Amino acid sequence: MHTLRLLSAFFKVNLQMTLAYRVDTAVNLLLEILTLAWELLSLEIIFSNTTTLGGWNLGELLTLLGVFHLVNALMNILVWPSTDAFNTAVRDGTFDYTLLQPADSMFLVTFSRMVIWRVWDLVLGAVLIVIGFHMSNLNATLPHLLSFLLLAATGSLILYSLWIVLIAATFWFTKFDNNVTILQALLDTGRYPSTIYPFWLRIIITFLIPIAVATTVPVQALRGELTFTQVLIFFGVSAASFLVASRVWKAGVKKYSGASS
Amino acid sequence: MFKIYQRFWQVTWAEQWQYRANLLMYLLYWLVSPIVYLAIWVTIAHAQGSVSGLTANDFITYYLTLLVVDQFTSEITIHILAYKIQDGTLSGDLLRPVHPILTGALVNNIASKVLNLLAFIPIWILLFLLFRPDYSSVTSGSILLAVPGVLTGFVLDFLLGAIITCMAFWTTRVYSISQFSNLVVILLSGQFVPLQLMPPVVQQVAGYLPFQMFTFVPVEVALNRLPMAALLRDYAAGLLWLVILYILFRWIWREGVKRFSSVGA
Repeated sequence: MHTLRLLSAFFKVNLQMTLAYRVDTAVNLLLEILTLAWELLSLEIIFSNTTTLGGWNLGELLTLLGVFHLVNALMNILVWPSTDAFNTAVRDGTFDYTLLQPADSMFLVTFSRMVIWRVWDLVLGAVLIVIGFHMSNLNATLPHLLSFLLLAATGSLILYSLWIVLIAATFWFTKFDNNVTILQALLDTGRYPSTIYPFWLRIIITFLIPIAVATTVPVQALRGELTFTQVLIFFGVSAASFLVASRVWKAGVKKYSGASS
Repeated sequence: MFKIYQRFWQVTWAEQWQYRANLLMYLLYWLVSPIVYLAIWVTIAHAQGSVSGLTANDFITYYLTLLVVDQFTSEITIHILAYKIQDGTLSGDLLRPVHPILTGALVNNIASKVLNLLAFIPIWILLFLLFRPDYSSVTSGSILLAVPGVLTGFVLDFLLGAIITCMAFWTTRVYSISQFSNLVVILLSGQFVPLQLMPPVVQQVAGYLPFQMFTFVPVEVALNRLPMAALLRDYAAGLLWLVILYILFRWIWREGVKRFSSVGA
C-alpha cells in the first residue's frame, strides 16, 4: 500500500514535469513517429529483397519489433533517466538524501525519476505485437502465449538486474560514469532475431549483456521453439539475477561514503 | 599565422585526449548498427545465394569498408558548438583570430578522428579476422580513386553538420533536427543497405542528393564496383553540392552571428 502511494506520487510529479515542457513533448513524439516510420521502412526494404530473414517472416519480425519497443520503453521511462540522476547524485553527494528517506533505496533510485511521455512506446509496442502476430500466421497455443508473456517479463527483469549491478559498480568506482553505455550501445541488436548474428555477437547478447533474452527469446516461445524446461530455466535465472542484484546493491550502499563529508 | 594553428591544434588535442574513455564508448555505439545490418544481409544472401546479384562476401566487404570510410567522413560539429551557441560562450570563440567553425570545429573534428583511429584500427583488424572478407576486387588504384570521394564526403558531411549546428541560433531544438537528419542520412547514404537494393525511386532520389557521398559512393569506388561513368557523374554531383552547401553555410552563419550579437547587446 505504502509502495503504491509512493509510486502514484512519483508518477504525478513526473507527469507534471512532462506537461511543463509541452512543445518539447510534442517534438519528441513527432520524432518517435518518424523513427517508427524509419523502422517499418527498413523492414519493407528487407522484405522487398527476401521472404524470410533467418526463417522469420515479416509478421514475426513485427512482433519482435513490438517486444523491442516494450523493452526500449522500459529503458526510456525508467532506466536511462534514473541513471543520469543517480550518477549525478553519487558524484556530488546528494545520494545521502536518498538513503535518509524511509523507503528502500533501490526502489527510490528506480522510480523517483520517470519520463512519462515515453509510455506511448508501451502502447505502440503492444499494437505492433498484435498486428505482427496476426500477420505471422502462427498457430500459437495458450501455453505458447503465456510463456511469451512470462518470458518478456523475466527477460526485462534480467536486464533490470544487470542495470542495478552496473550502476551499483559506481559505489566502488566513482569515476565509472559510463556505466550503462555498453547496454545502450548493444540495445539496437534487439530489433532483429539474435539467431542471424555471428556466433560471438550472439554469445555477447545472450550471456553477457542479455538483450536477446528480453527480445528474441519471448518471440521464440511464441513460435513454439522453446520447451517447458527452457521456459522454467529462464524464469529461474531471472529470479536468481534479481536476488544477486539486490545483494550487490546492498553491499554497494554499505560501501558508499558520501562525497559531502 | 602558422603558429596560431599549431597552438590551436595542441589545445584541441589536449581537450580531446581528456575524453578518450568517452571516445571509445562512442566508437562502440557507432560500430553496432553496421554490424547488425551486415548480419541481416549476410543471412539473406546465404539463404538465397545472392541478393540482387550481391553475394555474402559482397555484403561483408561493403560493411567492413563502410566502417573505414565512415570513420573518415563522419563529423561531430553539433556536439562541439551547439551548446556554446545556446549558453552564449560562443562570444569567446568569436573573439579569437580563427573562424569558430571553419577552423575551430574543423580542427576539433580532425583531432577526434586521429584519436578515434588509434582505437579503431585494432577493432577493425579484429573484425577482419572474425568475418574473413575476400578483398580480391580491391586494387591500389581503386583505393586511390576513392580518396577524393572520401575527402568530398567528409567536407559535405562537415558542412551539413555545420549548417544544422547554426540552426541553434534560431531554435533550441537543434538536436531533434539533427536526429531527424540522421535517420534520413542512414537510409540515403547507403549505411543501412547498399543503395542498389533500395526501391528504384529511392535510388534515383539518392543519386541527386549529397548523402551518397558520405558512404555509398566512396565504398563502391574502393571496392572497384562503380563503373567509371557513374563515378565521374557522382563525383561531379558531389562537387556541385559542395559549392551549394558552402554558400548556404556562409549565409546561415552570417545571419546567425548577426542574431547572436543582437541577443548579447
